[in-house]
Amino acid sequence: MSTVYLDHAATTPLREEVLAAMEPYLSAAFGNPSSSHRWGQEAAAALEDARAKLANAIGAGPSEVRFVRGGTESDNIALIGGARALVRADSAATPVVLVSAIEHSAVLEPAEWLHKRAEAEMRVIPVAADGTLDLHGVSADLAARPFLASVMWANNETGLLLPVDQVVPWAQKLGGIVHTDASQALGKVSIDAAESGVDLLTATGHKLGGPRGCGILYIRAGVGVEPLIFGGGQERSLRPGTEDVAGAVGLAEAIHLAVADLGVSSAWMTEMRDRLQARLVAQIPGLRVNCQDAQRAPHVLSLGIPKVMDGAAFLMALDLEGVAASGGSACHSGAMAGSHVIAALYGADDPLATVRLSVGRRTSEADVDRGADVVSAVWHRLQSDA
Amino acid sequence: MSRVLVAMSGGVDSSVAAAMLVEEGHEVIGVTMKTFCYSEIPTHGKTCCGLDGIMDAKRVASSLGIAHYVFDVEEDFTRDVIDDFVSEYAQGRTPNPCVRCNSNTKFRDLLARGTALGCDRIATGHYVRMAHTGDEAALLRGLDDAKDQSYFLWGLPPEILPRLLFPLGDLTKGEVRERARSLELATAEKPESQEICFVPTGDYRDLLRKRLGSVHPALEPGQIVRSDGSVLGQHGGFAGFTVGQRRGLGGGFPEPMFVLAVRPDTKEVVVGTRDELFGASVAVRELNWLTTAPSPGDEVTVQLRYRAPAVSATVVDVGADLKLALGAAQPAITPGQSAVVFDGPRVLGGGRIA
Repeated sequence: MSTVYLDHAATTPLREEVLAAMEPYLSAAFGNPSSSHRWGQEAAAALEDARAKLANAIGAGPSEVRFVRGGTESDNIALIGGARALVRADSAATPVVLVSAIEHSAVLEPAEWLHKRAEAEMRVIPVAADGTLDLHGVSADLAARPFLASVMWANNETGLLLPVDQVVPWAQKLGGIVHTDASQALGKVSIDAAESGVDLLTATGHKLGGPRGCGILYIRAGVGVEPLIFGGGQERSLRPGTEDVAGAVGLAEAIHLAVADLGVSSAWMTEMRDRLQARLVAQIPGLRVNCQDAQRAPHVLSLGIPKVMDGAAFLMALDLEGVAASGGSACHSGAMAGSHVIAALYGADDPLATVRLSVGRRTSEADVDRGADVVSAVWHRLQSDA
Repeated sequence: MSRVLVAMSGGVDSSVAAAMLVEEGHEVIGVTMKTFCYSEIPTHGKTCCGLDGIMDAKRVASSLGIAHYVFDVEEDFTRDVIDDFVSEYAQGRTPNPCVRCNSNTKFRDLLARGTALGCDRIATGHYVRMAHTGDEAALLRGLDDAKDQSYFLWGLPPEILPRLLFPLGDLTKGEVRERARSLELATAEKPESQEICFVPTGDYRDLLRKRLGSVHPALEPGQIVRSDGSVLGQHGGFAGFTVGQRRGLGGGFPEPMFVLAVRPDTKEVVVGTRDELFGASVAVRELNWLTTAPSPGDEVTVQLRYRAPAVSATVVDVGADLKLALGAAQPAITPGQSAVVFDGPRVLGGGRIA
């Protein structure tokens, strides 16, 4: 059976160039960057070269880039560490943490945890299906309180691009700081950290051909973030622990390549996504393309599929036919929960089943055509069974 | 050969069931049901329904070269099994949650999802057998008396029977372990799960306190009385008692005392001697028949609890409820437990003891 991987928003294959760049640091060049001897010097140089390369690719200074263990860790440090740094010794004001309603759970969960522990007040920014944020409704008393707003650059389930460029001036005017999770956006849309004006930015490697477990938190110079773990002072004490040099090198290479290729690869992904979308719209009556009228990242096609009682079984049926897709966020055990993102955008009683298809830079026209045919065939089979 | 959906708990039995189906040449798809929220319950590594169970099932499926999926049935399971379990204890009865799960959750979900996945057959690792004669499919006891699980399956929707496969029905537990070892399945040496999957601590009263709140009548002190109303002492909450129980009644009686009944209205636990524990008839409600219901006057056998032998009985009345006259009086006929009606090895149906 021919298989088609259409789940690049979940993870991507490691690029060959990335593997090649990492290889020396997985074998001969094994030193600890903190060591003073030549092995350590070699590792430290590789780490700092990687940092500089990565910083250059995202429009940051090297000292603004901290290597962390993936996107979830980066989000957690940004939310919790960022909120804690807002507490002023001379003020009793509790910080406010604002999150968009469609954030990843790596942002929502730490925000809820802060709220539950009374370390911060959590406020949820409503999001419309066209990407509009309702900032007005959450702005009460913000001018008088320290706050952090976390608004993702591109949503992982729908590809919806959020107006970070509107959030930044709004927050600056009210005296707050802005975090953005750009895990799904980097390498797909143009991002320049400095130009964007965000204070904190999360990115991860495995969404763009890099190794997993490797991410960064960009911290604009002068912005405070408290560490969550403590140890030997690595990464300017923000994320201590002996550095994953190979991971950092691979991450930097992957981000460098993704940004360098951006024009070509994002045009290709857009073409493949639109081809997939057009075929499915033609084959499945009543199909809804989620966030169709909004700005979307080029790789994600989120579908609201009519007359499917059981979205989980639909995905399993696709897998049995060799097509990888996903629904809402997959939980740890692999069970599929209802999507808070679709609920926020289309209401909790949305009758359509959500299926996310996501293309990559190597997805071919044949892949897309086969994927569309299988999705359509499974849908038609489920209609006749019902 | 057909496409078979096999329920894999991550235990040795369902692992071997899956392996046998693969050996027989079927296209096998493994599934594990996620039945409740694991994060609220500390894991103890011994229940086969927990997250470890899911991961074990994935490992076995991978070694067998079959697909494996997780079915999230938490919402249904909570409503149909856990809520019922709590409600039954709160009303002084003793539920069979595994029966509820099989009847209301597990097989219905397997059937629905199996159909969506194009599966002709549904299989589990239960120790029971199917016999097919013409269009009729009969559910039979497993050959291994020590492991027979037919008691738990009387509540299946009858229309599902023709699609069921039970590969372990002719095997003993020892033979199943042996097969697991020779196939080098990751679960070959996994211990048997004994506890109710959603009560991994083994003490269901913790769950009742959590779900009922500590001020519920079922958890408040009440009186221990004899059948004649005389008061023998106090108990700490009737939900902690089941008919036939000896423990927890306090000592100092001239002869051993057993729980005869639980009276939720008055919060009384009625106790008596072993002789008083016997009853010669049983009333059964919430019936389900896997075949044509028996008629008044029919001679059947009935099993009144798991691991109890089936005893002869005569059908007195059958309709919405079932009344049976027992051939010999039986001890500790417990409201809430299943009464399963057999004709020889064949399960005719059953219900809950009223």
